[in-house]
Amino acid sequence: MHKRIILPALIGALTLSACGKKAPEMAPAPQQDDSARLAEEEARRRAEEEARRREEEERRREEERRREEARRAAEIIAQMVHFDYDKYDIRPDAREILVTKVGVLRANPDVTLRIEGHADERGSDEYNLALGMRRANAVKDFLTGYGLDASRFEVRSLGEQRPLDPASNETAWAKNRRAEFHITGGQATRVQ
Amino acid sequence: MRRILLFFMLVLAAPLEAQQQDTSRIPTGVRLGMIYQPLKRPTLAVRPFSGEAERAALAEQVGEIVRRDLDYSDRFEIFETPPQLRTGPVEYATWNNLGVVYVVTGSLEPLENGHLLRLALHDVVYGTVRQIQAFALPEAGDENFRLAVHAAADEVVRWATGQPGMAASRIVFVRRGRDGGSELMVVDSDGENLRRIASGSRAMMSPVWSPDGSRIAYSVEQDDASWHLVERVLATGEVRTISSRAVISMTPAYSPDGRRLAFAVTGDRSNAEIYDYDVQQRCCLRLVRGGPGEDISPTYSPDGRRLAFMSDRLGQPHIYVMSAEGGEATLLSPYVYGEVGYYTSPDWSPESSLVAFHGRSRGGRFQLMIADAAKPGSTVQQITEEGTSEDPSWAPDGRHIVFKGVRSTGYGLYVIDTATGRTRPLVLGSDARVPDWSPALLRASALTVRGE
Repeated sequence: MHKRIILPALIGALTLSACGKKAPEMAPAPQQDDSARLAEEEARRRAEEEARRREEEERRREEERRREEARRAAEIIAQMVHFDYDKYDIRPDAREILVTKVGVLRANPDVTLRIEGHADERGSDEYNLALGMRRANAVKDFLTGYGLDASRFEVRSLGEQRPLDPASNETAWAKNRRAEFHITGGQATRVQ
Repeated sequence: MRRILLFFMLVLAAPLEAQQQDTSRIPTGVRLGMIYQPLKRPTLAVRPFSGEAERAALAEQVGEIVRRDLDYSDRFEIFETPPQLRTGPVEYATWNNLGVVYVVTGSLEPLENGHLLRLALHDVVYGTVRQIQAFALPEAGDENFRLAVHAAADEVVRWATGQPGMAASRIVFVRRGRDGGSELMVVDSDGENLRRIASGSRAMMSPVWSPDGSRIAYSVEQDDASWHLVERVLATGEVRTISSRAVISMTPAYSPDGRRLAFAVTGDRSNAEIYDYDVQQRCCLRLVRGGPGEDISPTYSPDGRRLAFMSDRLGQPHIYVMSAEGGEATLLSPYVYGEVGYYTSPDWSPESSLVAFHGRSRGGRFQLMIADAAKPGSTVQQITEEGTSEDPSWAPDGRHIVFKGVRSTGYGLYVIDTATGRTRPLVLGSDARVPDWSPALLRASALTVRGE
């Protein structure tokens, strides 16, 4: 503590003596120590505040980054894949999406999914239920083929019962032939 | 010389034909047209029914119901009664000159707890009453009043043709509910008396009547998107679960003796397979048909010995027939190498070896088709051409079919007569689907009056 007073006091004294002017009558040493001390305290306080602010800023950015990553991970997991008419093969565009999903699922080993297969309205209600099931199973097989554990996936079919687009045209039908992914357990926080 | 050579070539070719017998049993053709050659139908008139005092209005309504039932039977040319022949004794000579063959008269008389409906079928050619009978009807407000009138009309059809009509029956179907759920609906065969018997926030599918008409089995989606098979008792509203272990239990079908229920099951490890279950003893689940491909939509033959069903083990959905115990299956729908067929939703006639289903026609849209399971390999008959037509279900007369269709009148359920091709709307609305026609729910014998 004393050292802290002495040094600034010395500096103060040196500064004053280096001014060249007739030094004003110096206050007794205690007063000189006070103002310097106050200035020093002020500077320290500001430095601490600055550091705290930077820490805060850093924490906020980190949180933001994590939130963004979790959002991205959830987005990748939720992304649907689509199928050709009356088929359950994994198309090249679907393959890309599924491979990205594999990465996220590896990074989040607690996450479990329900894979839901859907069909467009053509054909029979009942055959479409079976077709939806086959699509869900094809997706599950693809994911487990990359080493992901089969127990993480539940398969379901809703056939043609829940169209995304109720219209009766090629665009709507293409949207409806899909597999959806719903998280049933765990949290997706990391992308890799 | 050439002729002899040709002859020898034909003779030599014959044994080769015999070796290829199997492929000749695969149907390759589809023929457009009705099942039977429509014969000239007898002309029939229904006179306005009579009733005393306060019964007069009801008698008129009952007469209208009977007239419409006889029209919908598609077995008669309905003739409008001229004003001068509406009352009084039946003037056979005048009717004969008009070319009418049958005249139906009816009267409504008092009866304890209801009404007595006296119906007579007049044979104009012979100038006599062919048949006359009194039927006991419940009170007009009774929920089965219309059904009783229909049963009486079905009896009149039997007097005239030898076969009862199908008016005393109902159709169950599923309709999308208001909030995205679904509703189980029942309508009388004439399109009247539409009622909701169940509703839920989840989807329902493939309802079927039990052979005694007291229960309906169907699939219902669960909260976790699996599908359970349930049976609903109509009188009490009680619902029993039949199958809930697999991910999806679907497409139920009762055997005609009511003992067994066949249905399809699919899970995360298997393709859809057909099982049957003892409904009376509530036990004894048994695999009937497994293996590669999806096997769904079983439907029993009238003797319960065989099942028609849909399978896509050829890589495309087709209709097959096999024993109800399983085993080898014969193809019923047309298969042409190189073409992609799509045939599904079979329903076996309750009266014959005919199996109805829907398939993609030459025009690319789905239409109703009929194959004869007694003659595998024979040409399949396409019976609809307009719009689209799907999900056929036979009426108890083995002649009419209810289906989901689109016509100029809009989306909805329609009824077609396979003999004449006449099609009428049953329930209009774009979300009505998967209809099933009940067995005859009431027979005239249940309406006999003691002492008559």
